[in-house]
Order: sequence, then C-alpha cells, then structure tokens
Amino acid sequence: MEQEKAIIIENLTKLYGEHVGVKNLNLSVDKGEIMGFLGPNGAGKTTTIRSSLALISKTAGKITIFGLDSHRDAVAIRKKTGYLPGDFGLIPSVKVKSYLKYLLSLNNFPSTKKMTSLAERLELDLDRKTNELSKGNKQKVGIIQVLMADQELIIMDEPTSGLDPLMQQEFYRILRGEQKQGKTVFMASHNLAEVEKVCDRVAIIRKGHLEVVEKIQALQEKTGKVLEVEFSDPVSIDEFKIKGVSELHEDNGKLTLTIHENLDSVIEAVSRHRILNMNLRTYSLEQLFLKYYTEENRKRGDA
Amino acid sequence: MIGRITYMELRTGLKGLLIFCLLVTIVATAMPLIFPTYRDSITEELEGANKVNLELPTDEGGMITLSWEPLETATSYMVMEDNRSSMVTAKIKYLGVETSITFEKDFEERRYYAVMAEASETVNPVLVGIAATEKGDDPFQELINNPAYSGLTGGRSISMLEVKGFMTLEFFSWWWMLAGLFIAYLSVSVIGSDFENKRMDVMLSTPISRRRYLLEKFSAMSVIALFIVLVAIGGFAGGIANINALNEFSAETVFLSLIGCLPFLMVIAAVGIFTAVLFQKVRVGMGVTFAFVFAEFFLYTFGNFSKSLEWMKTVSIFNYWDYSSVIFDNLFKAGDFVILAAVAIVIIIISIWVFEKKDIPT
Repeated sequence: MEQEKAIIIENLTKLYGEHVGVKNLNLSVDKGEIMGFLGPNGAGKTTTIRSSLALISKTAGKITIFGLDSHRDAVAIRKKTGYLPGDFGLIPSVKVKSYLKYLLSLNNFPSTKKMTSLAERLELDLDRKTNELSKGNKQKVGIIQVLMADQELIIMDEPTSGLDPLMQQEFYRILRGEQKQGKTVFMASHNLAEVEKVCDRVAIIRKGHLEVVEKIQALQEKTGKVLEVEFSDPVSIDEFKIKGVSELHEDNGKLTLTIHENLDSVIEAVSRHRILNMNLRTYSLEQLFLKYYTEENRKRGDA
Repeated sequence: MIGRITYMELRTGLKGLLIFCLLVTIVATAMPLIFPTYRDSITEELEGANKVNLELPTDEGGMITLSWEPLETATSYMVMEDNRSSMVTAKIKYLGVETSITFEKDFEERRYYAVMAEASETVNPVLVGIAATEKGDDPFQELINNPAYSGLTGGRSISMLEVKGFMTLEFFSWWWMLAGLFIAYLSVSVIGSDFENKRMDVMLSTPISRRRYLLEKFSAMSVIALFIVLVAIGGFAGGIANINALNEFSAETVFLSLIGCLPFLMVIAAVGIFTAVLFQKVRVGMGVTFAFVFAEFFLYTFGNFSKSLEWMKTVSIFNYWDYSSVIFDNLFKAGDFVILAAVAIVIIIISIWVFEKKDIPT
C-alpha cells in the first residue's frame, strides 16, 4: 500500500514562533494522480510544500516522499522531484536557454529535448535574456524548469499565476500529458476553477488546518454550480424547484440558483422563458468555505 | 569543490571581475612607475634643506656648529631643537640675528634643528632649512617608527627613498582594503542575492546539497581571489621591471609578498559567506563583513601600540599576512599561510552547519 503513495504527510506541524504555519496536517498523494492543494493566501499551502522539500524545518510530524524521509533523504528525493515555487527569481543577464541548461546540469539530466518542446508549446523564445522577460514569460520559464528534467513527482505552487488564459489551457493539456506518462502532480492553488479543471482530487486547507480531501467530482456534487439567468419577464421560482436545486432567488426576472444534479431539467425549465443573459459559474473559494462551514455547523446543530 | 555552480558564478560575475582586475592592474603597475619621480622630488627637498649646515664635534662632548645662509629679508632668526623630525615637541634653542651658533653636544640621541627666519613684512616665520645630527635620514623615518604605522613595516625602519620602503607604504598599506572589501562584497552577495532574489528555492530543489552549494560558492570566491592576486602580482612586477628595479625588489619577492594575501582574502570570503547564510540579507551581511575587516585591522594596529596590547595582534588576520618580512627579510612565513587557510576552512564548516539548520526564507 505504501508503494502506491507518492507523498505521505503525517501530523505535520510548523510553527513560526507564535504563528501557526500548519497544524497536525495529514495528507497523502497517490502515485499518478493530479492533486490540487487549495486554500486562500496564507493558509499554509506553501509551508506544507516547502517542508516536504526540506527548504524549511518541521516543528513536528513526518513527511515521506517515495518512501524516503523528507529531511534526512532530501537530496535523494530531489532527484525524483521537480519544484516550481510560487515566487522565484532567475539568474539575471543570461539567456533563458543557458539558465535552463544550467538547472538541467544540476539535475544531471543532459537531454534538452523536453526543454525545447515545452518552450515551443508555451511559445517562449529561449534566446531571450532572463532579465528581459515579462511576468507571464518568466512563469513559462518556471513551468519548463519544473517539467524539463522528467522527474516522477512535480510539485508546483500557483503554477498559472501570470499566464494568459490561452497559455493556461495549454498548461493544463501539458499536465494531463504528464499524468499519462505516470507522473504525479501536487499543485497548490487558490483558484477553485483551475483545480476543478485539471485535478483528480483536492485537499482544502484553511488557517493551517486541513479541512477536507475530496475527489473533484464529489466536491462538485456537494457544492454545485451557480446558475444566474436574466429573463425578459419575472418568473416564479416554483418552476425551478427541481431535485438537486437549492438556494433559489428571484428578483424581477433575475434568477439565481445552485445546481447539484439534474442540470438538464433545469436547462429545460429555463428554456421555457425568454432569456436575456445566462451564466453558469463555479463557487469562489470564499463561497465554498462559507458553504462548507454553514453545512458543518448545521450538522453539528442537528447532532 | 569546483563544479557547475562555481562555473556559473564565475561566468555571471566575469564582467565585474574583469573591470575590477583592470583597476588592480592600473594601480599595481602605476605605483612603481610613480616611485622615481617621488624619489627625485624628495631628494631635491632634502638637498634644499642643506641650506643649513651642521658641523659635528670631532671628539666626544665637543661643540656643534650650526650655520645657515643669510636671508635678505630676515630681521632675526629662530632655531628650534627637537629629537623628532616632525618638530612636534620642539624647544627654542636660539633667537637672534646671527647666522651661526655653537653649542655643546651634551646628548647622545639624534636631534633635529629647524632654522626659521623672521621678516618684518611677514607675520609668519619662513623656514630656512632643517639639519640633523645624524645625516642620511629622510623625514619619513620617524613617521614609520611611530607605533601606529609600525604594523605596516613590522616595526622596521624603512626608507621611502628605496623602492621597497615606498611600495610597502604606498601599495601594501591600502591594497588589503581594495582587495579585501571587493571579496567581502562579492562573497556576501553571491549567496545573499540568491536569498533576496528568491533563487534559493529552485537551486535547492535540484539534487544539490546545501553543503555542496556553499562549498562551490566558496570555491568560486577562492578562484576569484587567486585571480585578483595573480593580476596584482603581474601588474606590480611589470611596474617594477619598467623602472628597472627588479634587482632591488625581485619578481620572487613580489610573488611571495602578495600571494600571502590569498588565504587572507579567503578568510574574508568565508566570513562573507557566513554572514550571508546567518542573516540571509545582503546589506546586513555586508555591513558585518566590512566591520569585521576593519575591526581586524584596528586590532592589529592597537596590538602594535604596546606590549600589553600585543594579544590583539594574534587574533587579527593581518598578523598572518606578513608581507614586510618577505620584502625586507626575504622570509616567507608558510606557517601563517596555513593558519589563515585553516581559519577560512573552519569558518566555512561553521557556515555549512548554520546553513543546514536554518529555514530558507520565502
């Protein structure tokens, strides 16, 4: 069973003096999956990741990566692991190509084939100087850097920040390709929509505590999606009281509801009226937490 | 350990290093070139002072005769006497209109006499000249014997009219600062900027241990220090050859006197690396490293003041780079070389220990 896990985090605690980075965090990442690590800024995502890579010490707990101890076997782990930090700098005044080749050489990975093909897919000119790059292009360098040495485990912290939507899509495609080759991906994000698009499972962290680990599908079923429709005339909300629909609001032709299942029935009901505008969206992270907490409080109240 | 990190450091820092080395070449070459001009002007000045003639007694306890050329504008003359050429503790020996005086030699040590002319139309007296009971000395002799400066020469009496003495005071007295502060700046920034520019996370996510990272950075600094020293040796020897003074200051002496500062610079580099990993900030590290270099210099200077302060010298790195013993006694202290190298290695080992313990800041 142990062999199936890429990362096992047990009771991880990291304190910065009085401040809690993470507290008693338990989490495991299966080999071959793309795991999202979701939480607002300052929740402890980066702390967890950097503890795993021995960039910071742990106050307590144990982290195992491919059966190796995160701090004792740090160098052995790094041979199998690529890491893209949330915020990183490049060596200035060298060509991107030289910078990446340098990192390849530190990884003892001589082939530049993957580096070049990734640069092509992300439309990055490798002959540019590192100090002449825009934020988006710098992020592309980071993405190439984390993937080019073909390591088994890829850990990323906010990998799409600064990328334009088209490049984000390309990045998701690249990630799925990596997964097909058996890679494990663990990525921190504060964007629920992004995690939904690309991840198999998601771990949600808040204020240093792990709140929930869920398959994306299950999460979606639990939280649902928000449908906003603007009709030409006021409608009755009774029409939309379908199984799997909740939180109905109607205000002078503007209808808002949350769909957990039976999307087709809802669309059918909607289509009976003249529609001016329609929008189906995912919950924002804040709304998601709100939902989780109100539900949990309700459960506690019931008990 | 020289590896890819060392190579990258040298490559990215090459432009700055070459500019610095150009500066080193210019000053190291120019300094000996200045010497003949300097010597000639001082000799001329000393000859000018010969307007005052001092006749020593032939037998012990005899009379000294001091005479000088009369000045047309002078209304009276004043003779000052001191046992220092700087005349800071001078007493008035004579006041009057004569142009020669005779007095008994009732002392053993060297004494200096300055003859001043007072003219009616001027407020301040004019110097006619200086004479001393022992000839052949130059005015810098005493300055050098001052304990505050004797550290530079190992307490030796040196002559600024010889290329050895000139170079000791005019080159070695500040070379440590130029090379030392450059190495201090580089060694703090090669690591501090990896922290500050957030390159450390990526660097340490490759299979490079923190130990290897530090050792490679230290290697880069050692290579740069060696390069600077070799450039200085080349420039210095070139300058000496240019004034045809290699018979006085041989190429071997140039090499041995300057190569001694290699482990000296390596200690500074090690301290720079230590402060960079301890404070993880370029500015703080640089401030502390600069303070270290100057504190060491003052410890060495104070250590020369008196016997009771001598212990201060032993804890100063300046004590272990004895270029003056190479220059004046032809003695290269290999033991000192090893001591400094060992100190550098110990500081690096401590730095590795600290680096491995500390969190990398985000």
